[in-house]
Order: sequence, then structure tokens, then C-alpha cells
Amino acid sequence: MSNHIVESLRKEIEDFKIETKTEKVGKVLELFDGIAKVSGLSDIKSSEMVTFPNGETGVVLNLEEDAVGVIILGDFSKIKEGDEVNATGKILEIQVSDSILGRVVNAIGAPIDGKGAIKAGKTYPIEKVAPGVVTRQSVSEPVATGIKAIDAIIPIGRGQRELIIGDRQTGKTALAIDAILNQKGQNMICIYVSIGQKDSKLRKLAARLDSGGAMDYTVIVSAGASEAAAMSYIAPYSGVAIAEYFMDQGKDVLIIYDDLSKHAVAYREISLLLRRPPGREAYPGDVFYLHSRLLERACRRNQKYGGGSITALPIIETQAGDISAYIPTNVISITDGQIFLETDLFYKGIRPAVNVGSSVSRVGSSAQIKAMKKVAGTLKLDLAQFRELEAFSQFGSDLDDATKRQLERGKRSVEVLKQLQYAPVKTEHQVVTFYALTKGFMDDVPVEKIKEFEAGLIDYSERNAKVFYKDIKETKMWTDKGEEQLKKVITDFKMSFSK
Amino acid sequence: MSKISPKNIAEAIYKATEGKSGVVLAEILHRGAQMIQNKRMIGKSDEILKTLQNIQDIETGTVRAKVTTAKKISHEERNKIEHEVKEKYKGKSVVSEFFEKEELLGGMRVEVGDEVLDTSYKSALMKLKDFLIQAK
Repeated sequence: MSNHIVESLRKEIEDFKIETKTEKVGKVLELFDGIAKVSGLSDIKSSEMVTFPNGETGVVLNLEEDAVGVIILGDFSKIKEGDEVNATGKILEIQVSDSILGRVVNAIGAPIDGKGAIKAGKTYPIEKVAPGVVTRQSVSEPVATGIKAIDAIIPIGRGQRELIIGDRQTGKTALAIDAILNQKGQNMICIYVSIGQKDSKLRKLAARLDSGGAMDYTVIVSAGASEAAAMSYIAPYSGVAIAEYFMDQGKDVLIIYDDLSKHAVAYREISLLLRRPPGREAYPGDVFYLHSRLLERACRRNQKYGGGSITALPIIETQAGDISAYIPTNVISITDGQIFLETDLFYKGIRPAVNVGSSVSRVGSSAQIKAMKKVAGTLKLDLAQFRELEAFSQFGSDLDDATKRQLERGKRSVEVLKQLQYAPVKTEHQVVTFYALTKGFMDDVPVEKIKEFEAGLIDYSERNAKVFYKDIKETKMWTDKGEEQLKKVITDFKMSFSK
Repeated sequence: MSKISPKNIAEAIYKATEGKSGVVLAEILHRGAQMIQNKRMIGKSDEILKTLQNIQDIETGTVRAKVTTAKKISHEERNKIEHEVKEKYKGKSVVSEFFEKEELLGGMRVEVGDEVLDTSYKSALMKLKDFLIQAK
């Protein structure tokens, strides 16, 4: 046994070739809060990796006349003034391979879940120019999030960038987690990038994904609240580099950045320490580019260039619902739509607390299957009218029948869109529910019994509308025959339900 | 006007002293020192001196090398190293400093400006260590 070990080590040592070449070396002049000012290092490139004597890596961000500004990725407490810094000649990169799936890694791709080393594969640069126009294709395939309010009203397509925005404690992360949980069997790789979050929250989230069987197709990239700002700054870029690795294999990837407000704060901290001039809200001038270059890397590539897509769901936390602050407006303008979550709705018990009026998906119904388009087409308008009438009806009780009907329908729509956390609904079940709602089958069901009706209907229809389900699952089409069967099944169920 | 850097001061002093000697040179250097004090840059005097030396080296084609070895090396070996450095950096003259450092174990380390050629055994062992960690 020991001979075998010695033999394998001998072979490895034999394979090792020492390359002797001149290296660029600098010296640490100043060190403060994860930032080092280094002299020397002439000819170094921006974003180039440097190494410190204790093995830590740094990235060059500022190139000045006589010195360079380096952000240190990792423990900077052991670095001293006068330490030697070696240039590597490489732009910051991350190790990626298929075995990264199911793992929790830090911002530089090192595992932090205690499950051992990740088998090395390819290296991918963290900063990369987004795919060009010729390689892209328009978004047309849906991402089924399993959240009724989103799939029906604000559909998300593969390759889209949809912002989740709202105050603290409004269910932003929950929405993203539900979307990941619903990707089981949907041929989607998920990447959750946690930026500046509490480790306890991450632990809970990983356990939840694990118990839901979602870790098999998920990677968590984490830059915790206790880590240096530099790690938070590069975490989303590392996440998208992992996503690109899978997209290059023609796979569809869903990436969640939780959240970009903390990312911007981390970048502001680094910029101020590097003495870059502050602008609005003390953010540096290139904070828009910080997010635009990240989100532009989400795309749907055409078949000629290998297919595959990256769908991005960035999260932004607002303060007291102020979506006109600097970072929210930036990210709203970059993304292809936003899902707006409201505290008032949350406390009214409307969960997910999606404000349907302020939320929008610029890709629209092209990211919906035909059946969903057919049943949910009028839902957004109905709800908008309901909100208006609801406000108006508070002034008087004398309402005509049509208005009353609309109000009643609206109440039922709101009830149908309510959903428990971690309970994503399959697309075909959503279609059945929305069909029953929009065709008026729920109009005479009491509002408090809507949830019961919905659950019963799904169960009953699954057993009795096999043709309809087959059509939806296999062809994703809406056929007259299927509709007839569904109509009959709903009528039958309603009779038994009212008894 | 942008902030005055030590490099600006060094360049100014060099230009003012160019071609001067004797009492005139001493007077100019005295005024230079006064200017450094007036600009509150005494703390940066090391940096100014280093920059002055760099300017001088560039003008005269001097290459400064720092050679570290594990054991003392012979006069011939020193000359050989200096000759190699002169060839590589195309300098007119070489000013070298030789140091001994046992922890290098063997080989040598040559530093010219911010470039380092490290053929020491210590560095080779460190590289082997990294290689074995990566191979694992």
C-alpha cells in the first residue's frame, strides 16, 4: 500500500516541470479594509489576479501612475506592509465542472459546504463580454416558476431578466426559492447567488432546497455578510461564469442574484476605499455598468451557437417602497420587467404579495404556452379593473349588477392567486384553475371556499380529464376536444362540490 | 491644478540640477530641500530620492540588480551574472548588490526593478507544493 502511494507521488513529481521565467513583483505599500496599494507591477492589466505570500488572491482594480489598487479576496489579516505581490498574468477566473452541481461554493468557487474538494474541470473567466447580437435568439420558451401570479400575469421566458423588487420581508427570496423548487424535471440548472446575506439564512435555504430535492440541479454561490466586500463584489460574476459553463453545453440555466442592492453597497465600499470619486448616494459613476454588464450576460443563444440560455432573476431591496432610488431605477431599466412585491399586500394576507398593477414582463405572452395564454389573457386587465372599482366602491353602496359581478370576480381572482410558500403549482393545474375562474365557474363559490374548490378541482380533473392533461403535457396545445372534456369535468365537480 | 506628486518634485529637481556643479549645484539642492519642506512633503523624501535615482539611472543607462543566493558566490560568478543582466536589460553599466540568504536552499534570485528571476530551490519547492495540491 505504502509503495503504491510513494509510486504515485513519484509519478506526479516526475510530471512536474519547473518553468523559470522572470516574474513581475510588487510590494505592499498600504493595506486597509481588504484593499492593498501595491508598488511595482508595471504592465499589469486591470482585473488581473495577483497572489500574496500567504496564498491569498487579489484582483487589480485601480491602475495608477506608480501603484495599483488591489482588492484582496479572502483573509487579509496576515498580509503585511512590504509583502511581495506576484502578478499571475491571468484575468480572474473560476474552476467549473459538472461536479459543482449540488454544492455550496464561495465567490471564488471554493467549496464551503464541508463535502470535500470539487473535481477540477475548466476555468472560466469571471469577467466576460456578454454574447453578441448574432448569437442571440428572442425569448419564446417559458420558465415555469410554479407561482400562479407570475406564470399567468407576468410570464418569464428562458433568457429573460426579470427583477424581483420589494421592501424587506415581503417574500422576495421565497419567490426565488419557489421558482428553483419548481424546476425539478424541467431541464433547468439553477444557480443561487447569495450576496451579503446572513449565514443562518443561507443554511436554512440550502436545507430547504435539499429537502425539496432541488440541490441535484442547483449550485449556491455565497459571499456572506462576514466576508470582505470584495467577495460580495465578485460573487454574482462568479455565479454567471458557472451559468455560462452550463449554457455552453446547451443547457438552460436560471440564476438568482440575492440581492443586487447589497452588491452595489459592496462595490460602493470598495470604490470609496480606492478613492474613486463618489456620485449620487455616494455610489461611483460606473454603478450602472456594474449591473448592466452582469445582466447582459443573461441571454438565449440560437441553435447555430449551441443553444442554451441564462435566465436572470435579480433581487433588489427597496427602502419603504421607494422604487425611485438610484439602484432600483438602474436595475429596472436594465431588466426586461419587474415583479413588484408590496408590504401592504403582504400584511393583508395576499401572498405572494405581488402588485399586479406595477409588475410587468416586457417579454409578455410570448413566454407562455398556448393554453396559459388562452386562459389567463384577460386576467391582468380584470384585476386592474377590480382594483379601480374596489377603491371606487368604498364611497357608496349603490352599485349596478355588472360592477358587482366584476367586484365578485375580482375577489375570487385575488383568492386564486394566493399561494402558500414552497408550494409551487404545476402549469397544467394552473391552466385548469384559471379556466374555471375566467369562464365564471367560480363566480357562485363563496370566496372563503375558493381554495378548497381549487384543490378539489385539481384532484378531480386529474382523474377525469385525462385527454386534456395529455394535450397540455405533451403538446402544450389547447384543443377543442380537451376544452370540452375540461368544461364537463368542471361542471361535474361543481355539482358534487355544492352538495 | 492637480496635486503635486513626489515624482513631479524629483523631475523638477533633476531638471534644475542638470549640468550644474560645485557651489551652484549645492545652492540648487538647498533650494530643492526648502521647496520640499514648503510643500510639506518631507515625509515623502524617501520616495523623492528613489525617483531621482530612477531618473538618473534611466539617463545614464544604469541597471540596478539585487542578487540573493544561498551561499557566497565567487568573483567570476558575480561578473558572469552582472554581464548577463547587462545583456538582458541592454544597460550601459550594472550596479549590483549581493546578499546571502540560507533559506533559499540553493539557486539564486535576481531582482531588477519590479522583475524577478527566481531559480531558488525554495521557490521550486513552493511551486511543487502548489502543483501537488492542485493535482489532488
